[in-house]
Amino acid sequence: MNGTTTVSLVGVGGQGILLGAAILAETAAAAGLEVKASEVKGMAQRGGSVLSTVRFGKHVWSPVAPRADVVIATELLEGIRGLGLLGPKGTLVCAFTTRITPGSVLRREEGYPDDVSGAAARRGVRLLTVDAEGVAREAGTVRAVNVALLGAASTVLPFGEEQWRRGLEAAIPAKILEVNLRAFELGRAAVASQEVES
Amino acid sequence: MERQLFFSGNEAIAHGAVRAGARFACGYPGTPSTEIIEATAGLEGIHSEWCVNEKVALETAVGASLAGVRTIVTMKHVGLNVAADPFMTLSLTGVNAGLVVITADDPGMHSSQNEQDNRNFAKFAKVPMLEPSDSQEAYDFVAEAFKLSEEFDTPVLLRTTTRISHGRGQVLPRVPVEVEPREYARDISKYVMVPQYARQRNRVVLERLEKLRRRAEESPLNVLEAGTSDLGIIASGVAYAYAREAFPKAWFLKLGMSHPLPYAKVARLYEHVSRVAVVEELDPFFEEQVRALGLPVIGKAAIPADGELDQELVFRALEPYVQRKPPRRRRPVMPPPPRLATPPKPAAGLPVRPPVLCPGCSHRSVYAALRKRRLAPMGDIGCYTLGALPPLLSLDSCLCMGASIGMMAGFNKALGRKAAVGVIGDSTFFHSGITPLVDAFYNEVEGMVVVLDNRTTAMTGHQGHPGTGLHPDRSQSPTIDIQKVCEGIGVRCVTVDATDHKALDAAIKDEAKAPGLGVIVALAPCVLVTREVAGEVVVDEERCSLCGVCVDLGCPALAPGDDAVSVLGTCTGCGLCVEVCKRGALSLACAGDET
Repeated sequence: MNGTTTVSLVGVGGQGILLGAAILAETAAAAGLEVKASEVKGMAQRGGSVLSTVRFGKHVWSPVAPRADVVIATELLEGIRGLGLLGPKGTLVCAFTTRITPGSVLRREEGYPDDVSGAAARRGVRLLTVDAEGVAREAGTVRAVNVALLGAASTVLPFGEEQWRRGLEAAIPAKILEVNLRAFELGRAAVASQEVES
Repeated sequence: MERQLFFSGNEAIAHGAVRAGARFACGYPGTPSTEIIEATAGLEGIHSEWCVNEKVALETAVGASLAGVRTIVTMKHVGLNVAADPFMTLSLTGVNAGLVVITADDPGMHSSQNEQDNRNFAKFAKVPMLEPSDSQEAYDFVAEAFKLSEEFDTPVLLRTTTRISHGRGQVLPRVPVEVEPREYARDISKYVMVPQYARQRNRVVLERLEKLRRRAEESPLNVLEAGTSDLGIIASGVAYAYAREAFPKAWFLKLGMSHPLPYAKVARLYEHVSRVAVVEELDPFFEEQVRALGLPVIGKAAIPADGELDQELVFRALEPYVQRKPPRRRRPVMPPPPRLATPPKPAAGLPVRPPVLCPGCSHRSVYAALRKRRLAPMGDIGCYTLGALPPLLSLDSCLCMGASIGMMAGFNKALGRKAAVGVIGDSTFFHSGITPLVDAFYNEVEGMVVVLDNRTTAMTGHQGHPGTGLHPDRSQSPTIDIQKVCEGIGVRCVTVDATDHKALDAAIKDEAKAPGLGVIVALAPCVLVTREVAGEVVVDEERCSLCGVCVDLGCPALAPGDDAVSVLGTCTGCGLCVEVCKRGALSLACAGDET
């Protein structure tokens, strides 16, 4: 809206949503844009959903918005839920191998939905699925799922390599920076190869 | 004809309460409210008690109302500040049996530290308010307040001022109201104010306010009194009495039910007169609402905004305005009822992901023990509030910080037995759990309190508190021992290792049977802090019948499979599921065991 881009990061507590949002915010700042962000994290440690929103542009007024241009999901069910945030030209960048089963599904009261492609198609939005867990493991730590997804999302976000590097360096502690830079690159490459295939 | 009695407003409220079927009265003394409880204490058929403060008094009153008896709770104006926490959320939960909160304001500060106008609390909490203007009304309005409370499922604020509470007048007694105690029915989504339920209740409150406004339009408590002059006066309480004497020929809109304001009745007054004054002590409470209707009004520009009024003051204040040319007539602009937000629809077919108690959380062990006994757990605020959600469904109430013990006390007092148990966390105990425990001891409550002591303020992210002695910079102070606090008060207290499920269950079983008041400190540090894994639960698939007893504990590490339950990698080996399994299908392989 009004030249402002909205990116929402969704997942489950403990998946590094807040760090992902911090990296994105630093990257947008490195690109010389105004950035505003907000998060709902009260229940983050008790298995609840986490939503963090980053908005950037020439001038940003509100820290939140009901619609996102890009949704980055670190978990499949949250990705499908996150489709509801996307506008018509939106993109969902979704970890399709990460499933964290909610209690009602564990107790077999409900089923776990897995047709993210169908759901995205019904909504008419673009979908980029990434085996973020596989990518992160290949990079050296399964905890880098969030950064692997940012790498994938970088293919649809308007920032250059140098800006991303500065964002990652600003937000990630030095001792785990290397492995995260690798996860970012592999995540980006995973999408590139997907694009070639399709 | 019955003999007339000569009562102060406070005595009239006490007698009016008993006549209206109130069986429970509590409060904290404060001028000019004190004599209400002093009077009920001398009356038959009603239990009266002083509480340690107004917050505990209101929480105790809520407990009694839930237990099913009509209840009054009394305090002075600043006392409602102390009770504001339960009061604001009580508006959302509503009541079971009628609950009338009496606030006695003190314009002129005869014996108070400030002059706040508690009519604002009615607006703030979106609850109905009644304001008697003499002793007879003080007597009669209590029954009206109880009727409103039960019909609209809301606490009702009965507001007096010093001159109403301490003024005396004749009271004609009325026929007693026959009231049956109301059966208590557990209703988690009504009484446990976690966000998802509170959002629903908030809409109920907003809709209720509009229904109450329609009631205020019809209510005989709001009277349009015809006059012969061209002056109309809107007033309530003692200000009405002053204005009536000052301007005997004026038209009056006398507001007995003064919140929410009946807009149409206000507009009707303007049809009869060309100038209208609001005569009210303290804040321009009615005046601002009348102005919002677009109607010209004489208000605080003439009538002082501080101190008490009297008839001469009112006369002198308004007389010059009466002489002036009346303002141009205006048509009122009726405000439409407010729109309510469209609640977000959960995406169809997608499982929700509510927060849950962690695998290995010791709170689950307390709930497992409490579930076995027919006790209504009055809850508090912390991680353990999650115990109210499916599948545990182990809390009956959550009102505000520290409310558990007072509500347990009122509930048990009203029923005369150990029917409820207070469940409170360690940080919440220090926040506001000590005063109600002092109160419960003083008032000789039969009851049990379980302190869920996980050695941290867990829900907000593991902050320190006096029990841990930790400060924000992680520096350390001497700690306060909860058991010693309880024993210092004089309350029987045991500390039990909450990871020892059998010992905890036995302690709760014993305490439930013991007479008097007792505290169990269920001690186990938060698993998110210790990250301790005691072992892993192993399933004997032959023995598991998928009966669901273990799954009902709501542990995220347990899931029913096709043939047997399965244990996920997040299991900490707390062993509670092993304990509850009736078929011996689960066993604990301790960390380090050779298996």
